[in-house]
Amino acid sequence: MKVPVWLILTAAAALAAGPLPIKDLPPGKVMMVIQPHHDDHTTDYGMGGLIAQFTDAGYESHFVRASNDEKDGAHGYGHNDLINERECKAAIAILGMSELYSLSWRNDYMDPVPLQELRAQLIFLIRKHRPDVVLTHDPWGHYDRNPDHRKVARAMGDAYWLAGLENVHPEHFALGVRPHRVPYLFYKARVDYGKGHEPNVAVELNESQVRRKMRAYSTHRNVYASPAMARSVREQLAQEGLELPDLRGLTDEAAAVEMEEWHMDWISRKRGRENGVRYAEVYYFVDEFDHLPGLKEYLRQHTVQR
Amino acid sequence: MRILLLAFCLAARAAAADPKVVLVVTADAADFVHCAGGTIAAMADRGAAAHLVRVTNDEKDSWRLSPEETARRVREEVEQAARALGIQKVHHLGYRAGELASVSPTELRDRLAFYVRLLKPDVMFLPNPYAEYVEALDRHYTGSAAEEARRAAALANYQPPFAQVGLAPHYVPELYYYAAPVDPRRREPESTATFVPQPVTREIAATFDRKLRAALALRTINFSLAMRIRQRLEDTGRRLPLLDTVDDAAVAKLVEINLRKLAAIGAEKTAFQLAEEFHYAGLDYQIPQKYLIPPR
Ligand SMILES: [Zn+2]
Repeated sequence: MKVPVWLILTAAAALAAGPLPIKDLPPGKVMMVIQPHHDDHTTDYGMGGLIAQFTDAGYESHFVRASNDEKDGAHGYGHNDLINERECKAAIAILGMSELYSLSWRNDYMDPVPLQELRAQLIFLIRKHRPDVVLTHDPWGHYDRNPDHRKVARAMGDAYWLAGLENVHPEHFALGVRPHRVPYLFYKARVDYGKGHEPNVAVELNESQVRRKMRAYSTHRNVYASPAMARSVREQLAQEGLELPDLRGLTDEAAAVEMEEWHMDWISRKRGRENGVRYAEVYYFVDEFDHLPGLKEYLRQHTVQR
Repeated sequence: MRILLLAFCLAARAAAADPKVVLVVTADAADFVHCAGGTIAAMADRGAAAHLVRVTNDEKDSWRLSPEETARRVREEVEQAARALGIQKVHHLGYRAGELASVSPTELRDRLAFYVRLLKPDVMFLPNPYAEYVEALDRHYTGSAAEEARRAAALANYQPPFAQVGLAPHYVPELYYYAAPVDPRRREPESTATFVPQPVTREIAATFDRKLRAALALRTINFSLAMRIRQRLEDTGRRLPLLDTVDDAAVAKLVEINLRKLAAIGAEKTAFQLAEEFHYAGLDYQIPQKYLIPPR
């Protein structure tokens, strides 16, 4: 089959994409972050800045952690779960989030979890809090080898709109909740895992949001900021007669925290540079009527304020 | 050998131009109409016997109707929609809408393979399971099972009892993968130019009116769509004048706006006014272009 020229042109245009449009916060009052793991406010080293931006704007916000994170850390399953939950609470508090839900499914064993059971939990939480915005994992990301990421993303891919239908889990309504469809989504996935997730917007961050994102990240001491990593880097530098002046006098743990925070600062600047601002994060944004490609333009043009 | 190959190519080309049997697989009542209705109607016009296999019962999507009543009404409406497109028969598999994730993909595959062997289609329409950002994941599961069914139906060692009751293996030579145009990369060529379905468009100017009639038959879903848009706007202090009164005329207008725009999106960057987009695999799916011998 001959490939039409316009197809080649379209593909070339996609590859040569320039800066992304800078996205302002969508309207609303409630935001939820629904993720597999305690530390997934850092997915692809982003989200923390946008979360801080939402809470700065006065959004009520909730973090849902689907797994128990027992495999993450070196303290044994039970202790890892407790430490990671504690550090998660501390980290999301830095970002201004008010509440943590731990669904506590077994970490890295979420593949055999019945999708509908997880989905029902998410549908209930969506109906309870009625978020205007959800930040979650992209169900269409490619090559994600983490079973929990795949599972939560797939469950969310159903939950955000099924929560709006009266015929889905009508038993919930006995608890006083009502149907609610999530109108706006920000998806994130590991962009280093292939071309499945291509962001369509950038979000500009201010200095304070980047600082909080850095601190929230390094709060996960059980999994990041390992003193052994800092010691190894410093030893390698010392062998060449070098040192990092910023780390002088710091313990290995403090040096590790500092280095992790540099990484968050670097990635925020890099995304900013790519998109024409100082600091940024990038997302795949789904707008309120994107699921109606034949109507969204008409709705944009003909909707009026009451 | 060269003559044989050429003869085969010409036979396949002829089949491509004039399908005798078309099998349409859809997850739900609306998807096949919105994404492929015009192309299906055109094939029916050319004399193809078209069949629809509808996988779910659509019980969830309605406005203030029970799942049971929704399923009952939509079943009748999808029969009307299919008739408007010239489809001869609808085969309802009756799985609960929104719950396909818990259905065994192998069970669904084998049920679809049964219809492939029973009807022996030359053309199959199926939801594109690789289309991204499609909201209803039932479409993804259905597309995936249909793709597998097309393969399984052709192989004798799948479901040998089918063959014992006269359902011999059957190979479907032409595939149309359809999806709502929400995937930003849907028109990019696939990874290789051969053996892989590639983006194509089909003009539907001649059959658009019947596609619209089919879409209008889906009254339960259309009313639900109108009410949900109205409610979302109301909840956020907005209104759409068209939906100030949600009656038959307003809903019909909304459906027509939707279908005309979808057909215009399908026709973007082509010479057509109204079209549908697919990922298509026909003869080239079997024999790469570079191996074909041009007629002398
Ligand atoms: Zn994770």
